[in-house]
Amino acid sequence: MRWLILIFLFDFCLLGADPRAISVQPFVGQRGMTFTATVRGSNLKGARAVVVDGEGVRMVVEGEGKESSPARDTVKIRVETGAETKAGRYSFRMVTASGVSNSLVLGIAESVVLAEPEGLHETAETAVAVVGAPVIYAGLIGKKGETDLYSFQAKAGETLTFQVRSGLPSLGAAGGNANGFDPAISIFEESGSWFDAKRLNRVAFNDEPLWVLGRLTDAYLVHTFAKAGRYFLRLEAFSGQGGPDYGYQLQILPGTVEQEREAGRTDWEERTYQRPLTANRLNELAARGGRAEKEKVIETYRAMGTVGFPATIEGTIGRPGESQRSTFQVDGPQDIAIEVETPDGAPPVFNPVVRLLDGAGAEVVTNVFAGRGACTGAMNKGLTAKVIYPLRNPGQYTVEVRDLTADLGEAGFRYRVQVRPQVGHVGKVSIDEDHLNLAPGGAKTVRVKFDREEDFRGAVAVMVENLPEGVVALAAADYEPDTDPPPFLGKRERYVARTERTVIAFSVAEGAGLTEVPQLVRVLLRPVVDGRPGKVIASKQIPMMVVAQP
Amino acid sequence: MTILAFLFVLKIWTVPETVVLDGARAGQQFLAMAEYADGTQGDVTGEVVWSVSNGALATISGGGRVAALGDGAVTVVAELGGVKGRSTVRMMGVKEERPFAFGRDIGSILTKRGCNGSACHGGVKGRGGLKLSANGLHPADDFEWITKGGTYQVLTAEVAGERVPRIDVRDPEKSLLLQKPLGLVAHGGGKRLEGDSEDYRTILAWVKRGAPYGKDGETARLAGLEIYPAMATMGVAGSQRLLVTGRYTDGRREDFTNQVLFSSNNGEVATVTPEGMVKGKALGETAILIRAAGQVASVGVGVIGVPVKNYPVVGRGNFVDEAVFAKLKRFNLVPSELAGDGEFLRRVCLDLTGTLPPPERVREFVGSKDAKKRERVVDALIGSPEFVDFWTFRFADVFRVAIFANGLTPKFSQKYWEWIRENVAGNRRYDEVARERLSAQGYGAASRHFLPYNQIGPPADVMAEEVRVFFGRRLDCAQCHNHPYENWSQDQFWGMAAFFGRLFKAGPVVFDHPTNMDWSSKDVDGKIELVHPRTKVVVKPVLLDASPLVVRGDGNPRQELARWMTSHPYFAEATVNRVWGYFFGRGIVDPVDDFRSTNPATHPELLAGLARDFERNGYNLQRLMKTIVMSRTYQLAHETNGTNRADVTNYSHSLSRALEAEVMLDAVVAVTGVAETFTTAVSEGGAVGQAPAHTRAINLKDPDMYFSRFLELYGRPNRGAIPERSGKPSLGQALHMLAGATYVDRLSASGSRLRGLLERGATDAVIFEEFYLAALGRGPDAEETAELGKLVAGRGDREAGLREFVWALISSREFVENH
Repeated sequence: MRWLILIFLFDFCLLGADPRAISVQPFVGQRGMTFTATVRGSNLKGARAVVVDGEGVRMVVEGEGKESSPARDTVKIRVETGAETKAGRYSFRMVTASGVSNSLVLGIAESVVLAEPEGLHETAETAVAVVGAPVIYAGLIGKKGETDLYSFQAKAGETLTFQVRSGLPSLGAAGGNANGFDPAISIFEESGSWFDAKRLNRVAFNDEPLWVLGRLTDAYLVHTFAKAGRYFLRLEAFSGQGGPDYGYQLQILPGTVEQEREAGRTDWEERTYQRPLTANRLNELAARGGRAEKEKVIETYRAMGTVGFPATIEGTIGRPGESQRSTFQVDGPQDIAIEVETPDGAPPVFNPVVRLLDGAGAEVVTNVFAGRGACTGAMNKGLTAKVIYPLRNPGQYTVEVRDLTADLGEAGFRYRVQVRPQVGHVGKVSIDEDHLNLAPGGAKTVRVKFDREEDFRGAVAVMVENLPEGVVALAAADYEPDTDPPPFLGKRERYVARTERTVIAFSVAEGAGLTEVPQLVRVLLRPVVDGRPGKVIASKQIPMMVVAQP
Repeated sequence: MTILAFLFVLKIWTVPETVVLDGARAGQQFLAMAEYADGTQGDVTGEVVWSVSNGALATISGGGRVAALGDGAVTVVAELGGVKGRSTVRMMGVKEERPFAFGRDIGSILTKRGCNGSACHGGVKGRGGLKLSANGLHPADDFEWITKGGTYQVLTAEVAGERVPRIDVRDPEKSLLLQKPLGLVAHGGGKRLEGDSEDYRTILAWVKRGAPYGKDGETARLAGLEIYPAMATMGVAGSQRLLVTGRYTDGRREDFTNQVLFSSNNGEVATVTPEGMVKGKALGETAILIRAAGQVASVGVGVIGVPVKNYPVVGRGNFVDEAVFAKLKRFNLVPSELAGDGEFLRRVCLDLTGTLPPPERVREFVGSKDAKKRERVVDALIGSPEFVDFWTFRFADVFRVAIFANGLTPKFSQKYWEWIRENVAGNRRYDEVARERLSAQGYGAASRHFLPYNQIGPPADVMAEEVRVFFGRRLDCAQCHNHPYENWSQDQFWGMAAFFGRLFKAGPVVFDHPTNMDWSSKDVDGKIELVHPRTKVVVKPVLLDASPLVVRGDGNPRQELARWMTSHPYFAEATVNRVWGYFFGRGIVDPVDDFRSTNPATHPELLAGLARDFERNGYNLQRLMKTIVMSRTYQLAHETNGTNRADVTNYSHSLSRALEAEVMLDAVVAVTGVAETFTTAVSEGGAVGQAPAHTRAINLKDPDMYFSRFLELYGRPNRGAIPERSGKPSLGQALHMLAGATYVDRLSASGSRLRGLLERGATDAVIFEEFYLAALGRGPDAEETAELGKLVAGRGDREAGLREFVWALISSREFVENH
C-alpha cells in the first residue's frame, strides 16, 4: 500500500510538470512556404526543439511568445516546407525542459493558404474578401461570440464546397456535449428586407450533418448558388465560444468535394459498424487468437435466400418497414457470432436490427442489447454491431434484418451481416499513454487494456522495445477498485467483450543520463496459446524522455 | 320586453319550425321569437297565445309545450298582436311505449337534479360513498354502483367496502336513491327531489320493476345537444328561454329542454332557471352550461345596452368582419374608427414580425397616398426575413425548443429549431408540419421533442401535449379519472396515450417498439405495453372518437393518429384560434388551448369560418394571417367610442397587449441602437459562449442557454410546459426600468442612436421626432414637443436631459404595448 501511495504522489508531481500543447495557430500552411506559428499550452517553458512525424517539414523554435494568461505558455515556431513537401497532416511534439509534449497536428496544403487579416470581421463592411477558390484561410475566433465573415462572388448555378477544420478538434460525446471548438458555418446573401435594406439573409447553413458519438464536429457545406451575386460566409463557434485556442482552417473549393475525413484508424476495431467484414475474417481472428490461419474463406450471398454457414449476407433496407430474411443450416451445436457492417451509414442514420430466428420463427437472439436503468429500472435498449450466441440445436435458422424504425429506409441503408463460428481472439487493445517523461530514480506505469473476444482463453504477452539507457520496463500491478457487477444489464456477455488489463512499470535508474530528444519506445502485444507466441497484434510507439525533475 | 314593444312587432316565428314526436308521452317545447321595428329580436314565448290546429291529436300549454295525443300532424300557432308564427308537428307511434333505457331515463334525472355533477357524486371519488360518472357519461357503471353498491376507488377498479345496493327492490320507497334526495335520510347534497315530482315517480317505478338496465347500448345513443338560440342577447332584466334538442346517433331528434341541468357561468351577468329561462342581470357576456346525460353544451349570452340610434354602416374588409360586426351590432356596440396609418403600421409590424418599423418606413408609409398601401405592406411583411425570425420564435415557444426538453443538448434543440424555421420560411402546410411532428421517428429534427431530459417522455404527458398543441384541448384531467367537466373519459385518455406507449429510444434514435417482436425484451423480463392505471388492463391505441383503426404490430401507430388528428375539425379550429390569439391578445376561445363545452367561443361562426377557410386553402398559415390582418376588425383603432369602452371580448376596438419579453428587448435595442449581449449559462463544451453580436432575442435558438435578467423579469417562459405568457407587470420590471442595465447603460453607450444624432448636430426637435417614430411609430404632437423641449432645457445638461427623454420614452406604456 505504501509503495502504491508513493507512486501516486510521484505521478501527481510529474503530471503537474508535464508539457502540454493545446493549440497551434495557424495550423495549416502552404507547401513551399516558411511561416511562423504559435504553440499554446502549459509547461512549455524552455522549449528547445520540435519533433515532427514525417518528412519534408521542419519546425524550429524561435522563442517564447506573449501570453496574457499566467497558466499558459506560448512558443513561436518557424515552419519550413519545401516545394516537394507532401501535402497532408503532420503531427509534432514540443521538446521542452520538462520533456516531450503531447502531439499537435499541422496541415500542409497544396492550395493557397492565407491568414485571416487582423481585426474583427463581423460585418459586411469588414468581411474578409475571398481571393478565389480553391483557397484556405487560417483564422481564429479570438473571443466569445465572435463571428468571422468572408465575402465572395458566386455565379448563378455555381457550386462551392466549404469545409472548416477546428484547431481544437471536438468529438461528438455522450450526452451531446463535447469539449473543443465545434465550428459552424452559414452563407448569407445581401438581399435586405423591408426593415433593413442591408440585412444579410441566411441562404444555407451547416454545423455538421450529424451529432454522432465519436465523430468530429467539423463543418462542411456544399451549396449551389441560385443567382449570381455577392455572398458572405459566416464562421463561428457553435454556442458562441471563442478564445486564443479557437483557430480554424476554412477551405473553399470549387464544385462538390467530399468532406475531408480524419485519417482512418489503423488499429483493430472490433465492434464499430464500419469495420470491414472481409471474406478472410476467420483467419484474421485466428491470427489475433494466436492460432494458425487455416480457416476457410467466408462466402458472400445476397440477402433473402438460402445462404451457407459461415456467410456474409449483403442487402439494403430500401423501403420503410422493409425486413429481409435469409436462412442457413446448422448441422450441430455451434457457438456463433453475428457481426453487422453498415458501409454507407452507421447509427444513428441507419440502425440495423438483426434477429436470429429458429425454425419455428421464434426469436433466438438479436443485436439489441436490452438492459434496465440503474435509477428507475426502466428497460432500455441499444444496438450493437456484434452479438455472440451458443446455438445448441441443429437446424434451419433465419437471419432477419430491418431498420429500428418503421418509417425509414433508403438506398444508403446497406448492410453486410456475417454469421460465422466463434473464434477466440484478442479484440480491441488500448495503451493509455501518449508520451512519457521520466526523471532519474523515478518510475511510471502504463496500462494496457485488451478485450477477450469469443471466449479467448489464451495469454497475452506485452513486450517493450527500444528503451533509453537506464530505463527498464517491469511487469506490474496497480490498484483497481472493486466495482459491483452491473445488475441491470441483461445478457451482457453476448454483447460486451471481457476486458482485462496489464500494467508496465517504467523505472529509471538513479544515475541514468538525461535524453536530449524523445526516444520512441515500442509496446507490443502478442497472444500466447498452447505455449506458443502468436503474431504481434497491436503495437504503439510512445515518445519517452528522461529529464531532470522540475 | 315591454308591453309597448308589442306595437312594433314586425314578425313572429316559432322554433322549432318542424318537429317529429315519436312514441308515447313524446312532447316538445316551442319558443316564439319576435322581431321588432328597431331591428332587435326577443323571446315572446310567454307573451304569445299558443294554439294547435287539431286538439284531438295534440295539446299545447300556455307556455308553449306540445303533448302528443294521437298519430297525425298539427300546426302550432303563436299569436301576438295579430302577428302569427307557425310550426308543424307530426306525431307517430303515440301509443307505443318506448323501451326503457337506464342511461336515458334514470341518467337524465340524475343529471338534471345535479346528482352526478363534478361537485357531487360525479366528482373524482364520488361523494358519500356513491360514485356516479360525471353527467352520466358511463350509465353502465352508474347502474352497477346504484344497484350493487360499494365504494369506488380511483387507482384501482376493485370495489372497496361492503356492497350495499342504493335501491331496495323489496321495499322500493325505502331505497337510498330516493330517501336521500327526498331529505328523509341525511344527505350532504340536501333535498334534490320532491315526492310528488315526475322524476320521483319515474325512479320509483323503475325500482318497482326490479331496476332493470334496459336497452342502453342496443338503441341509438345521444350524440349531442343543440341549443336555440346559439347566442342569446337581451337587455338588463330581459329574458330568453332556451330550447335544448338532443340529437341521437340514428338521426332522431328529441326535445331535451326538461331533461337537462342549466347553470350560468356568471350569475352576476345572467341567471338561468331550472326550466332554461335566462334572465339578464347586468351588462356583460357569459355562457349558460347545459348538462344532459352524457353530454355538455353551452350557449353564449349577451346582456346588452340600449340600442344605438342610427347605428353606422361599417365597411367590411373580408369575411372576418361579417361575423364580428354582426355580433357588435347585435350587442349594440359600435366599432371604433379605422386605425391611423402610423398606429396600423406599428401594430402590424409587431404582430407579423416582432419588429418596430424604422422611422424612415413610418414616414414613407404615412406619407403615401397609395390606396392599397396597407395590403402592400402586409405582403411585404409576410414571408419577410423578420417574419421568418418571429414566427420561428413563436412556434419554438409552442413546440418547446429548449435544451432540457430536446435531449439535453443544444445540438438537438438547435436542430429542432432549424426544422421549425425551415417550415416557417417555406410556409409549409401546417397539417404536414403537425403530421411530421406527431409521427416522427429516427434521428430527424422533428423527433427531438420526444426526448425531454434525453428520455422518452411518459406517454400520457406526450399525448396530452400533442392534443393541446394541435387540438387546443386539455385532456390532462382525464389521466387519473374521467374528466370532471368534459365528456373525456379516462379510458379515452389512455386509448389516446397508447399511441405513444411504444415510443422508445436507442441512443438518440426515436422509434416505436414493435409489439409483435421481442427484440431482447425477455432478457430483462421487459414488456412493451401501456397499462391502464386504474383497471390494470393493457391499453390499445384508440382514437378519441373510437373510429376504426388498423395498426400493425411493427408499424408506427402515430402515423394513424397524425392522419386522424390533422383531418379532424378540431385541428383547423384550434390552429386558427391560436393564430387569432396572437393578433388580438385573446382567442375566440380563450385560453387558446382550452376548448371545452364549458368555455364556448365568443364568435362561433367566425371560428368556423376561419377554420373552413384555413382547411380549404391548404392549411396555409401565411394566408390565414393575411386574412386576419386585412380585416377591418384587426385594423380598428385603439381609441374607443361611447359604446365600446368596456368591451374586451368582441373586437370592437384594438386592445393593448404587452410586448413579449423578447420582442420588447429587441425593441429597446432597436430604439436605442445598442445591441444586447447574450451569454450562455450552459455551453456545448466547457467554455461559456456568447451569441454573435447583434443577435436579436427572438433569434436565440435555445433561449434556456442564455441568461438574461431582462428576459426573466419580463416573463420569458422556460418552456418547461407549453408557455403561457401573461404580460402582467411586476415590481421587478419597475426596478429594472429604473436601474437595470437594459435601460440605463444603453442610453449613453457609444454607437447609440442618441449619440449618433448628437454627433450629427441634430436639434432637440429632430431627436424627439426620430425617437418617437422609432419607438411609437408616430411623431410627437405639438404639445409633446413643447413639453419635451422644456424638460430638456430645464435639465441644464442637454445630453442628460435627452437621455432622460429616451428613458421615459422606452419606459412608457405606449412603448411597451402593442395597441
